[in-house]
Amino acid sequence: MPMVLLKCDKDIPEREQHIYLKVDGEDSRDFLPVSNAQTIPGTLSERGCAFCGAKLVIGGVLKDTIQMIHGPIGCAYDTWHTKRYPTDNGHFNMKYVWSTDMKESHIVYGGEKRLESSINEAFDAMPDIKRMMVYTTCPTALIGDDIKAVTRRVMSERPDVDIFTVECPGFAGVSQSKGHHVLNIGWINEKVGKVEKEITSEYTMNFIGDFNIQGDTQLLQEYWDKLGIQVIAHFTGNGAYDDLRSMHQAQLNVVNCARSSGYIANELKKQYGIPRLDVDSWGFNYMAEGIRKICAFFGIEERGEALIAEEYAKWKPKLDWYKERLQGTRMAIWTGGPRLWHWTKSVEDDLGVQVVAMSSKFGHQEDFEKVIARGQSGTYYIDDGNELEFFEIIDLVKPDVIFTGPRVGELVKKLHIPYVNGHGYHNGPYMGFEGFVNLARDMYNAINNPLLKLAATDIRSDEKVNAEEVAA
Amino acid sequence: MSEQVKQLVGYVQERCLWQFFSRSWDRQENIDGIMAAAEAMLSGAKPKRETPMEKLFYADALEMVKDFRERFPWVDALTPAEATTLIAGLKAEMIDLAITRSLNHELSHSLY
Repeated sequence: MPMVLLKCDKDIPEREQHIYLKVDGEDSRDFLPVSNAQTIPGTLSERGCAFCGAKLVIGGVLKDTIQMIHGPIGCAYDTWHTKRYPTDNGHFNMKYVWSTDMKESHIVYGGEKRLESSINEAFDAMPDIKRMMVYTTCPTALIGDDIKAVTRRVMSERPDVDIFTVECPGFAGVSQSKGHHVLNIGWINEKVGKVEKEITSEYTMNFIGDFNIQGDTQLLQEYWDKLGIQVIAHFTGNGAYDDLRSMHQAQLNVVNCARSSGYIANELKKQYGIPRLDVDSWGFNYMAEGIRKICAFFGIEERGEALIAEEYAKWKPKLDWYKERLQGTRMAIWTGGPRLWHWTKSVEDDLGVQVVAMSSKFGHQEDFEKVIARGQSGTYYIDDGNELEFFEIIDLVKPDVIFTGPRVGELVKKLHIPYVNGHGYHNGPYMGFEGFVNLARDMYNAINNPLLKLAATDIRSDEKVNAEEVAA
Repeated sequence: MSEQVKQLVGYVQERCLWQFFSRSWDRQENIDGIMAAAEAMLSGAKPKRETPMEKLFYADALEMVKDFRERFPWVDALTPAEATTLIAGLKAEMIDLAITRSLNHELSHSLY
Protein backbone atom coordinates (compact mmCIF):
# COMPACT_ATOMS: atom_id res chain seq x y z
CA MET A 1 0.00 0.00 0.00
CA PRO A 2 2.60 2.68 0.87
CA MET A 3 4.23 2.42 -2.56
CA VAL A 4 1.71 3.78 -5.04
CA LEU A 5 1.08 3.00 -8.69
CA LEU A 6 -0.86 5.95 -10.06
CA LYS A 7 -3.45 5.39 -12.79
CA CYS A 8 -1.41 7.41 -15.27
CA ASP A 9 1.54 5.07 -14.72
CA LYS A 10 -0.25 1.86 -15.68
CA ASP A 11 2.04 1.45 -18.70
CA ILE A 12 5.21 2.20 -16.74
CA PRO A 13 4.61 0.17 -13.57
CA GLU A 14 8.23 0.68 -12.49
CA ARG A 15 7.12 4.11 -11.30
CA GLU A 16 5.44 2.47 -8.32
CA GLN A 17 8.86 2.18 -6.69
CA HIS A 18 9.27 5.97 -6.85
CA ILE A 19 6.05 7.12 -5.16
CA TYR A 20 5.42 6.67 -1.47
CA LEU A 21 2.30 7.43 0.54
CA LYS A 22 2.97 7.74 4.25
CA VAL A 23 0.30 5.85 6.15
CA ASP A 24 -0.42 5.76 9.87
CA GLY A 25 0.37 2.41 11.38
CA GLU A 26 2.95 1.46 8.76
CA ASP A 27 6.63 1.46 9.72
CA SER A 28 8.02 4.06 7.34
CA ARG A 29 11.44 2.37 7.53
CA ASP A 30 10.05 -0.58 5.60
CA PHE A 31 9.73 1.61 2.50
CA LEU A 32 12.03 4.03 0.73
CA PRO A 33 11.40 5.34 -2.78
CA VAL A 34 13.96 4.47 -5.42
CA SER A 35 15.80 7.70 -6.21
CA ASN A 36 18.91 9.03 -7.93
CA ALA A 37 18.16 6.35 -10.50
CA GLN A 38 17.85 6.57 -14.26
CA THR A 39 14.61 8.10 -15.44
CA ILE A 40 12.26 5.39 -16.67
CA PRO A 41 11.62 5.46 -20.44
CA GLY A 42 8.08 6.67 -20.98
CA THR A 43 8.11 9.23 -18.22
CA LEU A 44 8.50 12.92 -19.06
CA SER A 45 11.04 13.93 -16.46
CA GLU A 46 11.42 17.45 -15.09
CA ARG A 47 15.07 16.86 -14.31
CA GLY A 48 18.03 18.90 -15.43
CA CYS A 49 21.36 17.55 -16.63
CA ALA A 50 24.64 16.97 -14.84
CA PHE A 51 26.24 20.04 -16.43
CA CYS A 52 23.36 22.08 -15.02
CA GLY A 53 24.11 20.79 -11.52
CA ALA A 54 27.73 21.88 -11.74
CA LYS A 55 27.50 25.20 -13.55
CA LEU A 56 24.04 26.55 -12.87
CA VAL A 57 23.72 25.48 -9.27
CA ILE A 58 27.22 25.85 -7.83
CA GLY A 59 29.93 27.34 -10.07
CA GLY A 60 27.89 30.05 -11.74
CA VAL A 61 27.10 31.61 -8.39
CA LEU A 62 30.67 32.87 -7.82
CA LYS A 63 31.04 36.60 -8.03
CA ASP A 64 34.55 36.91 -9.43
CA THR A 65 34.90 34.02 -11.85
CA ILE A 66 34.48 33.68 -15.60
CA GLN A 67 32.31 30.64 -16.34
CA MET A 68 33.52 29.32 -19.69
CA ILE A 69 31.12 26.81 -21.20
CA HIS A 70 32.90 24.67 -23.77
CA GLY A 71 30.03 23.67 -25.98
CA PRO A 72 27.29 24.89 -28.32
CA ILE A 73 25.72 28.21 -27.48
CA GLY A 74 22.51 26.54 -26.30
CA CYS A 75 24.26 25.14 -23.24
CA ALA A 76 24.81 28.74 -22.10
CA TYR A 77 21.12 29.63 -22.14
CA ASP A 78 20.40 29.93 -18.42
CA THR A 79 21.92 33.15 -17.13
CA TRP A 80 20.51 36.31 -15.61
CA HIS A 81 16.92 35.71 -16.60
CA THR A 82 16.51 32.31 -15.01
CA LYS A 83 19.04 32.37 -12.20
CA ARG A 84 18.66 34.58 -9.16
CA TYR A 85 21.93 34.58 -7.29
CA PRO A 86 22.98 38.21 -6.93
CA THR A 87 26.34 39.33 -5.58
CA ASP A 88 27.66 42.29 -3.65
CA ASN A 89 29.92 43.39 -6.52
CA GLY A 90 27.27 44.36 -9.01
CA HIS A 91 26.15 40.89 -10.06
CA PHE A 92 29.10 40.17 -12.34
CA ASN A 93 28.05 36.54 -12.58
CA MET A 94 24.64 37.41 -13.97
CA LYS A 95 25.69 40.15 -16.37
CA TYR A 96 27.85 38.04 -18.63
CA VAL A 97 27.83 34.65 -20.25
CA TRP A 98 30.80 32.93 -21.85
CA SER A 99 30.69 30.14 -24.39
CA THR A 100 33.06 28.66 -26.95
CA ASP A 101 30.05 28.51 -29.29
CA MET A 102 31.05 25.20 -30.85
CA LYS A 103 29.91 24.64 -34.42
CA GLU A 104 29.92 21.58 -36.65
CA SER A 105 33.47 22.15 -37.95
CA HIS A 106 34.82 22.34 -34.38
CA ILE A 107 33.10 19.09 -33.55
CA VAL A 108 34.61 17.45 -36.63
CA TYR A 109 38.15 18.83 -36.25
CA GLY A 110 38.30 19.25 -32.45
CA GLY A 111 37.60 22.21 -30.20
CA GLU A 112 40.76 22.61 -28.13
CA LYS A 113 42.17 25.50 -30.16
CA ARG A 114 38.83 27.24 -30.02
CA LEU A 115 38.70 26.73 -26.25
CA GLU A 116 42.18 28.13 -25.80
CA SER A 117 41.45 31.21 -27.86
CA SER A 118 38.13 31.70 -26.04
CA ILE A 119 39.84 31.55 -22.65
CA ASN A 120 42.44 34.08 -23.70
CA GLU A 121 39.83 36.29 -25.31
CA ALA A 122 37.77 36.31 -22.14
CA PHE A 123 40.73 37.16 -19.90
CA ASP A 124 41.84 39.87 -22.35
CA ALA A 125 38.36 41.37 -22.45
CA MET A 126 38.10 41.36 -18.65
CA PRO A 127 41.58 42.18 -17.40
CA ASP A 128 40.42 42.58 -13.78
CA ILE A 129 39.15 39.00 -13.63
CA LYS A 130 41.82 36.37 -12.97
CA ARG A 131 39.76 33.31 -12.13
CA MET A 132 37.83 30.96 -14.40
CA MET A 133 35.89 27.74 -14.38
CA VAL A 134 35.77 25.76 -17.62
CA TYR A 135 32.97 23.27 -18.18
CA THR A 136 32.89 20.52 -20.70
CA THR A 137 29.49 19.73 -22.23
CA CYS A 138 28.02 16.71 -24.04
CA PRO A 139 29.54 17.30 -27.50
CA THR A 140 32.99 18.39 -26.30
CA ALA A 141 33.17 15.41 -23.95
CA LEU A 142 32.15 13.05 -26.73
CA ILE A 143 34.85 14.29 -29.10
CA GLY A 144 37.41 13.98 -26.33
CA ASP A 145 38.65 17.56 -26.02
CA ASP A 146 41.29 17.61 -23.29
CA ILE A 147 40.23 20.72 -21.43
CA LYS A 148 42.67 20.14 -18.58
CA ALA A 149 45.60 20.20 -20.99
CA VAL A 150 44.30 23.43 -22.50
CA THR A 151 43.84 25.14 -19.14
CA ARG A 152 47.30 24.02 -17.98
CA ARG A 153 48.78 25.58 -21.08
CA VAL A 154 46.91 28.85 -20.52
CA MET A 155 47.94 28.98 -16.85
CA SER A 156 51.58 28.43 -17.78
CA GLU A 157 51.37 31.36 -20.20
CA ARG A 158 49.35 33.52 -17.80
CA PRO A 159 50.81 32.98 -14.34
CA ASP A 160 48.40 35.44 -12.70
CA VAL A 161 45.30 33.40 -13.57
CA ASP A 162 43.86 30.27 -12.02
CA ILE A 163 41.44 27.96 -13.81
CA PHE A 164 39.31 25.10 -12.51
CA THR A 165 38.01 22.52 -14.93
CA VAL A 166 34.71 20.72 -14.48
CA GLU A 167 34.48 17.64 -16.65
CA CYS A 168 30.83 16.87 -16.23
CA PRO A 169 28.90 16.63 -19.50
CA GLY A 170 25.13 16.59 -19.31
CA PHE A 171 24.89 12.87 -19.96
CA ALA A 172 27.26 12.01 -17.11
CA GLY A 173 24.61 11.15 -14.55
CA VAL A 174 20.91 10.61 -14.05
CA SER A 175 20.24 14.21 -13.05
CA GLN A 176 21.88 17.47 -12.01
CA SER A 177 22.96 15.71 -8.83
CA LYS A 178 25.96 14.23 -10.63
CA GLY A 179 27.16 17.72 -11.46
CA HIS A 180 27.05 18.73 -7.79
CA HIS A 181 29.13 15.68 -6.97
CA VAL A 182 31.76 16.19 -9.67
CA LEU A 183 32.28 19.86 -8.83
CA ASN A 184 32.48 19.18 -5.06
CA ILE A 185 35.03 16.42 -5.33
CA GLY A 186 37.06 18.16 -8.02
CA TRP A 187 37.28 21.33 -5.98
CA ILE A 188 38.37 19.69 -2.71
CA ASN A 189 41.00 17.62 -4.47
CA GLU A 190 42.42 20.30 -6.74
CA LYS A 191 41.86 23.68 -5.15
CA VAL A 192 41.29 23.59 -1.39
CA GLY A 193 44.43 24.21 0.63
CA LYS A 194 46.02 26.40 -2.02
CA VAL A 195 45.36 29.84 -0.52
CA GLU A 196 45.81 31.10 3.05
CA LYS A 197 43.32 33.78 3.97
CA GLU A 198 43.81 36.39 6.69
CA ILE A 199 42.07 35.24 9.85
CA THR A 200 40.26 38.09 11.58
CA SER A 201 38.26 36.28 14.26
CA GLU A 202 38.88 33.52 16.77
CA TYR A 203 35.69 31.92 15.42
CA THR A 204 35.78 30.73 11.83
CA MET A 205 33.45 28.64 9.72
CA ASN A 206 32.50 27.79 6.17
CA PHE A 207 28.87 28.17 5.24
CA ILE A 208 28.19 25.40 2.75
CA GLY A 209 25.25 24.87 0.44
CA ASP A 210 23.44 28.12 0.06
CA PHE A 211 23.57 30.03 -3.18
CA ASN A 212 22.47 33.53 -2.26
CA ILE A 213 19.11 33.05 -3.90
CA GLN A 214 17.70 36.57 -3.95
CA GLY A 215 20.08 37.51 -1.15
CA ASP A 216 19.87 34.53 1.24
CA THR A 217 23.60 34.52 1.88
CA GLN A 218 23.81 38.25 2.39
CA LEU A 219 20.94 38.17 4.89
CA LEU A 220 22.54 35.37 6.92
CA GLN A 221 25.91 37.12 6.73
CA GLU A 222 24.40 39.88 8.88
CA TYR A 223 23.89 37.26 11.59
CA TRP A 224 27.45 35.94 11.38
CA ASP A 225 28.80 39.49 11.50
CA LYS A 226 26.78 40.25 14.62
CA LEU A 227 28.01 37.04 16.23
CA GLY A 228 31.61 37.87 15.40
CA ILE A 229 32.11 34.74 13.32
CA GLN A 230 34.36 34.98 10.27
CA VAL A 231 33.01 33.06 7.31
CA ILE A 232 36.08 31.78 5.50
CA ALA A 233 34.12 30.71 2.45
CA HIS A 234 30.56 30.62 1.26
CA PHE A 235 30.01 27.54 -0.86
CA THR A 236 29.01 29.30 -3.03
CA GLY A 237 26.51 32.12 -2.40
CA ASN A 238 28.10 35.51 -3.06
CA GLY A 239 31.32 33.50 -2.93
CA ALA A 240 34.81 34.28 -4.17
CA TYR A 241 37.05 31.76 -5.94
CA ASP A 242 40.06 32.24 -3.69
CA ASP A 243 37.96 32.10 -0.50
CA LEU A 244 36.93 28.64 -1.57
CA ARG A 245 40.60 27.67 -1.88
CA SER A 246 40.92 28.58 1.82
CA MET A 247 38.15 26.33 3.11
CA HIS A 248 40.67 24.22 5.02
CA GLN A 249 41.21 27.11 7.46
CA ALA A 250 37.73 26.98 9.00
CA GLN A 251 37.02 25.46 12.41
CA LEU A 252 33.50 24.38 11.49
CA ASN A 253 31.54 23.53 8.37
CA VAL A 254 27.92 24.60 8.59
CA VAL A 255 25.89 22.83 5.93
CA ASN A 256 22.53 23.98 4.65
CA CYS A 257 22.08 22.12 1.34
CA ALA A 258 23.42 18.68 2.17
CA ARG A 259 22.44 17.36 -1.24
CA SER A 260 24.39 19.70 -3.48
CA SER A 261 27.27 20.29 -1.09
CA GLY A 262 27.42 17.54 1.50
CA TYR A 263 30.28 15.95 -0.43
CA ILE A 264 32.72 18.76 0.20
CA ALA A 265 31.72 18.95 3.87
CA ASN A 266 32.38 15.22 4.21
CA GLU A 267 35.75 15.55 2.52
CA LEU A 268 36.73 18.57 4.61
CA LYS A 269 36.05 16.46 7.68
CA LYS A 270 37.92 13.48 6.29
CA GLN A 271 40.92 15.36 4.92
CA TYR A 272 41.20 18.27 7.38
CA GLY A 273 39.27 17.13 10.47
CA ILE A 274 36.76 19.98 10.27
CA PRO A 275 33.43 18.97 11.86
CA ARG A 276 30.24 19.09 9.81
CA LEU A 277 27.14 20.66 11.36
CA ASP A 278 23.94 20.38 9.33
CA VAL A 279 21.33 23.08 9.88
CA ASP A 280 18.05 24.28 8.40
CA SER A 281 18.17 27.94 7.39
CA TRP A 282 14.50 28.28 6.46
CA GLY A 283 12.00 28.85 9.27
CA PHE A 284 12.07 30.67 12.61
CA ASN A 285 12.38 27.66 14.85
CA TYR A 286 15.00 25.99 12.67
CA MET A 287 17.06 29.16 12.15
CA ALA A 288 17.13 29.80 15.88
CA GLU A 289 18.20 26.22 16.48
CA GLY A 290 20.98 26.53 13.91
CA ILE A 291 22.28 29.74 15.47
CA ARG A 292 22.19 28.17 18.92
CA LYS A 293 24.18 25.15 17.74
CA ILE A 294 26.81 27.26 16.01
CA CYS A 295 27.17 29.45 19.08
CA ALA A 296 27.35 26.43 21.39
CA PHE A 297 30.15 25.03 19.25
CA PHE A 298 32.14 28.23 19.68
CA GLY A 299 31.10 28.83 23.30
CA ILE A 300 29.36 32.13 22.54
CA GLU A 301 25.85 31.11 23.50
CA GLU A 302 24.91 34.50 24.98
CA ARG A 303 25.60 36.24 21.68
CA GLY A 304 23.31 33.81 19.92
CA GLU A 305 20.48 34.35 22.39
CA ALA A 306 20.77 38.13 22.00
CA LEU A 307 20.61 37.85 18.22
CA ILE A 308 17.63 35.50 18.28
CA ALA A 309 15.76 37.76 20.73
CA GLU A 310 16.42 40.77 18.52
CA GLU A 311 15.25 38.99 15.36
CA TYR A 312 12.18 37.50 17.02
CA ALA A 313 11.15 40.90 18.35
CA LYS A 314 11.47 42.35 14.88
CA TRP A 315 9.95 39.64 12.73
CA LYS A 316 7.80 37.27 14.81
CA PRO A 317 4.73 39.55 14.93
CA LYS A 318 4.82 39.75 11.14
CA LEU A 319 5.13 35.97 10.86
CA ASP A 320 2.22 35.50 13.24
CA TRP A 321 0.04 37.79 11.13
CA TYR A 322 0.53 35.45 8.20
CA LYS A 323 0.25 32.32 10.35
CA GLU A 324 -3.20 33.36 11.46
CA ARG A 325 -4.26 33.65 7.83
CA LEU A 326 -2.41 30.66 6.38
CA GLN A 327 -3.50 28.16 9.02
CA GLY A 328 -4.65 24.93 7.38
CA THR A 329 -3.35 25.82 3.91
CA ARG A 330 -2.55 22.73 1.86
CA MET A 331 0.83 23.04 0.20
CA ALA A 332 2.73 20.96 -2.33
CA ILE A 333 6.51 21.21 -2.66
CA TRP A 334 7.90 20.07 -6.00
CA THR A 335 11.50 21.18 -6.07
CA GLY A 336 14.96 19.65 -6.31
CA GLY A 337 15.26 17.60 -3.15
CA PRO A 338 16.45 19.26 0.06
CA ARG A 339 13.74 21.91 0.24
CA LEU A 340 11.25 19.12 0.82
CA TRP A 341 12.80 18.22 4.16
CA HIS A 342 13.90 21.77 4.98
CA TRP A 343 10.40 23.16 4.52
CA THR A 344 7.82 20.51 5.45
CA LYS A 345 8.11 20.98 9.23
CA SER A 346 9.03 24.64 9.16
CA VAL A 347 5.88 25.65 7.30
CA GLU A 348 3.87 23.36 9.56
CA ASP A 349 5.34 24.62 12.83
CA ASP A 350 5.81 28.28 11.94
CA LEU A 351 2.82 28.85 9.65
CA GLY A 352 0.30 26.10 10.36
CA VAL A 353 0.56 24.93 6.74
CA GLN A 354 0.02 21.27 5.84
CA VAL A 355 2.31 19.80 3.18
CA VAL A 356 0.25 17.25 1.26
CA ALA A 357 2.57 16.23 -1.59
CA MET A 358 6.28 16.51 -2.26
CA SER A 359 8.29 15.67 -5.34
CA SER A 360 12.04 15.67 -5.74
CA LYS A 361 13.89 15.95 -9.03
CA PHE A 362 17.32 14.85 -7.92
CA GLY A 363 17.13 13.84 -4.26
CA HIS A 364 18.87 10.67 -3.15
CA GLN A 365 17.53 8.11 -0.69
CA GLU A 366 19.13 10.10 2.11
CA ASP A 367 16.80 12.97 1.23
CA PHE A 368 13.78 10.69 1.26
CA GLU A 369 14.80 9.31 4.65
CA LYS A 370 14.83 12.87 5.96
CA VAL A 371 11.59 14.03 4.41
CA ILE A 372 9.61 10.91 5.27
CA ALA A 373 10.81 11.19 8.88
CA ARG A 374 9.72 14.82 9.02
CA GLY A 375 6.64 14.81 6.82
CA GLN A 376 3.04 14.00 7.64
CA SER A 377 0.97 10.88 7.15
CA GLY A 378 -1.37 11.07 4.17
CA THR A 379 1.31 12.91 2.20
CA TYR A 380 2.74 11.70 -1.11
CA TYR A 381 6.52 11.57 -1.53
CA ILE A 382 7.57 11.35 -5.18
CA ASP A 383 10.90 10.84 -6.89
CA ASP A 384 11.41 12.32 -10.37
CA GLY A 385 7.74 13.11 -10.87
CA ASN A 386 6.33 13.61 -14.36
CA GLU A 387 3.58 15.87 -15.59
CA LEU A 388 0.80 13.28 -15.72
CA GLU A 389 1.64 12.27 -12.18
CA PHE A 390 1.43 15.90 -11.10
CA PHE A 391 -2.06 16.16 -12.60
CA GLU A 392 -3.18 13.03 -10.78
CA ILE A 393 -1.59 14.02 -7.49
CA ILE A 394 -3.26 17.43 -7.68
CA ASP A 395 -6.62 15.67 -8.02
CA LEU A 396 -5.80 13.44 -5.07
CA VAL A 397 -4.55 16.03 -2.58
CA LYS A 398 -6.07 19.29 -3.89
CA PRO A 399 -3.32 21.69 -2.85
CA ASP A 400 -4.06 25.37 -2.20
CA VAL A 401 -0.58 26.41 -3.30
CA ILE A 402 2.36 24.74 -5.01
CA PHE A 403 6.00 25.69 -4.52
CA THR A 404 7.90 24.55 -7.58
CA GLY A 405 10.11 25.74 -10.42
CA PRO A 406 9.16 27.64 -13.54
CA ARG A 407 8.77 24.48 -15.67
CA VAL A 408 6.12 22.86 -13.52
CA GLY A 409 4.95 26.31 -12.51
CA GLU A 410 3.65 26.93 -16.03
CA LEU A 411 1.61 23.74 -15.82
CA VAL A 412 0.28 24.71 -12.43
CA LYS A 413 -0.69 28.19 -13.58
CA LYS A 414 -2.78 26.72 -16.38
CA LEU A 415 -4.72 24.81 -13.76
CA HIS A 416 -5.29 28.11 -11.93
CA ILE A 417 -3.61 26.84 -8.82
CA PRO A 418 -1.47 29.40 -6.99
CA TYR A 419 2.20 28.84 -7.67
CA VAL A 420 5.27 30.24 -5.91
CA ASN A 421 8.76 29.81 -7.34
CA GLY A 422 10.29 27.35 -4.95
CA HIS A 423 13.69 27.51 -6.62
CA GLY A 424 14.47 31.16 -7.36
CA TYR A 425 11.68 32.53 -5.10
CA HIS A 426 9.07 35.14 -5.99
CA ASN A 427 10.31 37.92 -3.70
CA GLY A 428 13.09 36.58 -1.53
CA PRO A 429 15.29 36.08 0.33
CA TYR A 430 13.44 33.28 2.11
CA MET A 431 16.18 32.16 4.52
CA GLY A 432 16.51 33.47 8.05
CA PHE A 433 13.84 35.20 10.11
CA GLU A 434 13.11 38.03 7.70
CA GLY A 435 13.25 35.60 4.82
CA PHE A 436 10.61 33.30 6.22
CA VAL A 437 8.25 36.26 6.57
CA ASN A 438 8.90 36.90 2.87
CA LEU A 439 8.01 33.30 2.09
CA ALA A 440 4.82 33.58 4.13
CA ARG A 441 3.92 36.83 2.37
CA ASP A 442 4.45 35.29 -1.07
CA MET A 443 2.34 32.29 -0.12
CA TYR A 444 -0.41 34.52 1.23
CA ASN A 445 -0.35 36.76 -1.83
CA ALA A 446 -0.39 33.78 -4.19
CA ILE A 447 -3.38 32.18 -2.51
CA ASN A 448 -5.34 35.42 -2.36
CA ASN A 449 -4.44 36.70 -5.79
CA PRO A 450 -7.74 37.53 -7.57
CA LEU A 451 -6.12 37.09 -10.97
CA LEU A 452 -6.33 33.31 -10.67
CA LYS A 453 -10.11 33.38 -10.48
CA LEU A 454 -10.28 35.89 -13.31
CA ALA A 455 -8.01 33.72 -15.44
CA ALA A 456 -10.34 30.78 -14.92
CA THR A 457 -13.34 32.69 -16.19
CA ASP A 458 -14.52 32.05 -19.73
CA ILE A 459 -14.85 35.49 -21.29
CA ARG A 460 -16.06 34.30 -24.68
CA SER A 461 -19.71 34.87 -23.82
CA ASP A 462 -21.43 38.06 -24.85
CA GLU A 463 -22.18 39.00 -21.28
CA LYS A 464 -19.79 41.48 -19.81
CA VAL A 465 -17.74 39.96 -17.02
CA ASN A 466 -17.71 41.88 -13.80
CA ALA A 467 -14.13 41.44 -12.69
CA GLU A 468 -14.79 42.41 -9.10
CA GLU A 469 -17.58 39.85 -8.76
CA VAL A 470 -15.45 37.09 -10.23
CA ALA A 471 -12.53 37.90 -7.99
CA ALA A 472 -14.67 38.20 -4.86
CA MET B 1 10.84 -0.15 23.28
CA SER B 2 9.56 1.72 26.32
CA GLU B 3 7.04 4.50 25.88
CA GLN B 4 9.65 7.00 27.03
CA VAL B 5 12.21 5.85 24.48
CA LYS B 6 9.49 5.89 21.84
CA GLN B 7 8.77 9.54 22.56
CA LEU B 8 12.44 10.47 22.26
CA VAL B 9 12.84 8.48 19.04
CA GLY B 10 9.86 10.34 17.60
CA TYR B 11 11.50 13.64 18.44
CA VAL B 12 14.91 12.68 17.00
CA GLN B 13 13.37 11.27 13.83
CA GLU B 14 11.48 14.46 13.16
CA ARG B 15 14.09 16.93 14.23
CA CYS B 16 17.71 15.82 13.98
CA LEU B 17 19.65 15.93 10.71
CA TRP B 18 22.76 14.29 12.19
CA GLN B 19 21.10 10.87 12.06
CA PHE B 20 20.93 11.14 8.26
CA PHE B 21 24.54 11.78 7.35
CA SER B 22 25.85 10.29 4.12
CA ARG B 23 27.52 7.09 5.22
CA SER B 24 26.93 4.52 7.95
CA TRP B 25 30.19 5.38 9.73
CA ASP B 26 29.23 9.06 9.87
CA ARG B 27 25.85 8.15 11.34
CA GLN B 28 27.45 5.83 13.88
CA GLU B 29 29.97 8.48 14.89
CA ASN B 30 27.23 11.09 15.36
CA ILE B 31 24.97 8.77 17.33
CA ASP B 32 27.83 7.68 19.59
CA GLY B 33 29.08 11.20 20.22
CA ILE B 34 25.74 12.94 20.67
CA MET B 35 24.30 10.23 22.89
CA ALA B 36 27.39 10.33 25.12
CA ALA B 37 27.06 14.09 25.48
CA ALA B 38 23.31 13.83 26.10
CA GLU B 39 23.82 11.16 28.74
CA ALA B 40 26.32 13.38 30.52
CA MET B 41 23.93 16.32 30.43
CA LEU B 42 21.00 14.31 31.73
CA SER B 43 23.13 12.73 34.45
CA GLY B 44 24.46 16.01 35.75
CA ALA B 45 27.99 15.30 34.49
CA LYS B 46 30.05 17.69 32.41
CA PRO B 47 30.13 16.74 28.71
CA LYS B 48 33.49 16.71 26.98
CA ARG B 49 34.14 19.87 25.02
CA GLU B 50 37.81 19.86 24.08
CA THR B 51 38.24 18.56 20.52
CA PRO B 52 36.39 19.96 17.49
CA MET B 53 34.23 16.83 17.27
CA GLU B 54 33.40 16.97 20.98
CA LYS B 55 32.33 20.58 20.56
CA LEU B 56 30.11 19.54 17.66
CA PHE B 57 28.48 16.72 19.62
CA TYR B 58 28.01 19.06 22.57
CA ALA B 59 26.22 21.60 20.37
CA ASP B 60 23.88 19.01 18.87
CA ALA B 61 23.20 17.32 22.20
CA LEU B 62 22.56 20.62 23.97
CA GLU B 63 19.64 21.49 21.70
CA MET B 64 18.28 17.97 21.79
CA VAL B 65 18.33 17.73 25.59
CA LYS B 66 16.81 21.18 25.94
CA ASP B 67 13.95 20.10 23.70
CA PHE B 68 13.59 16.82 25.62
CA ARG B 69 13.12 18.80 28.82
CA GLU B 70 10.59 21.17 27.20
CA ARG B 71 8.53 18.51 25.46
CA PHE B 72 8.73 15.68 27.95
CA PRO B 73 8.52 16.99 31.54
CA TRP B 74 9.24 13.51 32.94
CA VAL B 75 12.86 13.90 31.77
CA ASP B 76 13.62 16.23 34.68
CA ALA B 77 12.64 13.56 37.17
CA LEU B 78 15.14 10.98 35.88
CA THR B 79 17.89 9.72 38.15
CA PRO B 80 21.38 9.46 36.61
CA ALA B 81 20.96 5.69 36.34
CA GLU B 82 17.58 6.08 34.63
CA ALA B 83 19.05 8.65 32.26
CA THR B 84 21.81 6.21 31.30
CA THR B 85 19.28 3.46 30.61
CA LEU B 86 17.06 5.81 28.66
CA ILE B 87 19.86 7.09 26.45
CA ALA B 88 21.10 3.52 25.88
CA GLY B 89 17.61 2.64 24.67
CA LEU B 90 17.45 5.69 22.43
CA LYS B 91 20.89 4.97 21.02
CA ALA B 92 19.98 1.37 20.19
CA GLU B 93 16.83 2.51 18.41
CA MET B 94 18.67 5.17 16.43
CA ILE B 95 21.32 2.69 15.29
CA ASP B 96 18.57 0.31 14.26
CA LEU B 97 16.60 2.94 12.35
CA ALA B 98 19.39 4.99 10.80
CA ILE B 99 21.90 2.25 10.06
CA THR B 100 20.87 -1.37 10.52
CA ARG B 101 17.42 -1.17 8.96
CA SER B 102 18.02 1.77 6.66
CA LEU B 103 17.13 0.99 3.05
CA ASN B 104 19.49 3.69 1.82
CA HIS B 105 21.78 1.96 -0.66
CA GLU B 106 24.45 4.65 -0.47
CA LEU B 107 25.27 4.14 3.20
CA SER B 108 28.10 1.70 2.60
CA HIS B 109 29.80 3.33 -0.38
CA SER B 110 33.48 3.63 0.40
CA LEU B 111 33.76 7.09 -1.18
CA TYR B 112 31.76 10.24 -0.66
